[in-house]
Amino acid sequence: MRSVPFSCLVFVVMLVALGAIFLWVPTEKEMGIVQRIFYFHVPAAFSSFLAFFLVFVGSVQYLRTREDKWDRLALCSAELGVIFALIVLITGPLWAKPIWGVYWRWEPRLTSMLITFTIYAAYLMVRGYGARSTSVQRISAVLGILAFANVPLVYYAVDLWAADQQLHPPRNVELEPTMQYAKWICCAAFFLLLFRLLAQRMELARIEKAVTLLRQKPIDET
Amino acid sequence: MSFLGRALAILRKDLKAEWRTKARLSPMVFFILLMLLVFNFSFDLGGAALREIGPGTLWSSYVLASLLSLSRSFADERDNDALDALLLAPGDRSAIYLGKMLGNLVFLLAVEILSLPFFALFFNLSMGFYLLPLLAVFVLGSACMASAGTLFAALSNNMRLRELMMPLLLLPMILPALISCVEATGLVLANECCEKLFPHLQMLGVYAVVFTVLSLMLFEYAIEE
Repeated sequence: MRSVPFSCLVFVVMLVALGAIFLWVPTEKEMGIVQRIFYFHVPAAFSSFLAFFLVFVGSVQYLRTREDKWDRLALCSAELGVIFALIVLITGPLWAKPIWGVYWRWEPRLTSMLITFTIYAAYLMVRGYGARSTSVQRISAVLGILAFANVPLVYYAVDLWAADQQLHPPRNVELEPTMQYAKWICCAAFFLLLFRLLAQRMELARIEKAVTLLRQKPIDET
Repeated sequence: MSFLGRALAILRKDLKAEWRTKARLSPMVFFILLMLLVFNFSFDLGGAALREIGPGTLWSSYVLASLLSLSRSFADERDNDALDALLLAPGDRSAIYLGKMLGNLVFLLAVEILSLPFFALFFNLSMGFYLLPLLAVFVLGSACMASAGTLFAALSNNMRLRELMMPLLLLPMILPALISCVEATGLVLANECCEKLFPHLQMLGVYAVVFTVLSLMLFEYAIEE
C-alpha cells in the first residue's frame, strides 16, 4: 500500500504535463499543432535511455553479487525500455509524415534508435525463449552489458554513414522558455511513470519467482 | 604456460583441425558462391549494378556465412565433450576466447579472400592494385565479426533454439560494423581512397577493440557451466 502516494504523485504530474502540453504551451509557428508530439517523443526517448542504462547497472551488479534483485531490475528495465523506445518509434513517424512528407527516412538518428530497439528486443527474446532456466540470469547479464556498450557505437556508426542526409533536429534546439519548461515537466512525468511501472513490474517478478519456487517444492514437505 | 601461450595453443589446435578436415572452409566458400547467385537472380541486375548493390551483396553474403560458421566454433567442442576439458585447464579462461577468436578471424578472412574472385566474376569487377585497401576492410571487418561472434557462440552454446538465437543476438550487434564495412567497400570499389575511407576503418577498429576487450572480461561468465 506504500505505493499509493507515489501513484497519486505520478497521476498529478501527468495531469499537469497534459495541461502544459494542451493548454499552456503556444502552438509552434511553422509546424503547427503537430509539434506538440514533441512533448511525448523526446521524454519517451530520454526514458528509454534511462531504462537501458538501468539494464546495464542491473547486469553489472548481478554478475558481481549474484543477487536476484539485480537480475529483476535488468529484466524489468529492459521491458520498459523497449516499450518507451516503441513510443519514440511510433510518435516519430507520426510527426515526420506532415513535416517531411514521409513516415520514415534512413537517417542517422532514426536508424540508430531502430537498431537500439532491435538489440533490446533480441535481449528479451533470448530471455523469453532461448536461455535455460539454470543459466538465464547469467547469460542475460552478459547480454545486458554488451547491449549497452553497443549503443554509443551505433550512434557513431550511423553518423559516419549518412552525414549529408541529416534530417532529425539536433539535440540542443533553441526553445521558447514556455516550451522548455513544458518539456521538463513532461520529462518529469515520464521519468516518474517509468519508476512507478518499474516498481510494480519488479514486485510482480519477485512474486512470480516466489510462486515458481513454491511449485517446485515437493508436496510431502508441507 | 603464459596467457598468450595458451591462446596460441588453442589457435594452433583449431587451425590444424580445420586444415585436416576443411569441414568449415569449403562449405562456406560454396555457400557464399550460392548467396551471390541468389542475390544476382533476386535483383536481376547483372553486372551493371556493381556500385549500387555490389558492396551490400558482398557483405550480406559474408555475414550470413559467418553466422553459420561462427556458431560452429564451440559446437565441435560440445559434440566431442571437449569443452569440459578446456574449461578444466588451469589459468584464465579468457585465453580460450582469445584463441577461438583468432581462429575465427583467420577463418573468416580466408573465406572472404577465397570467394572474392567469384564476386569479381559475377559483378564484372576488374581486379587490380586499387583493390588493395579492401584487404584492410576485410581484416578489420572480420575482426569485428569474430570478436562479437565468438562470444555469442559461447553464450548460445548452452541455449535452447541455439541456431535461431545466435543470429537474433549477433545481427543487431554487428550492424554498426556492417554499415562501415559496406560503406568502405563501396569507396574502394569506386577507387576513392584514402581520406574518406579512414573514418570507416577507424570505426571498425574501435568496434573490434571494444568488443574484444569486453568479451575478454565477460567470457568467464559467458562460458560458466
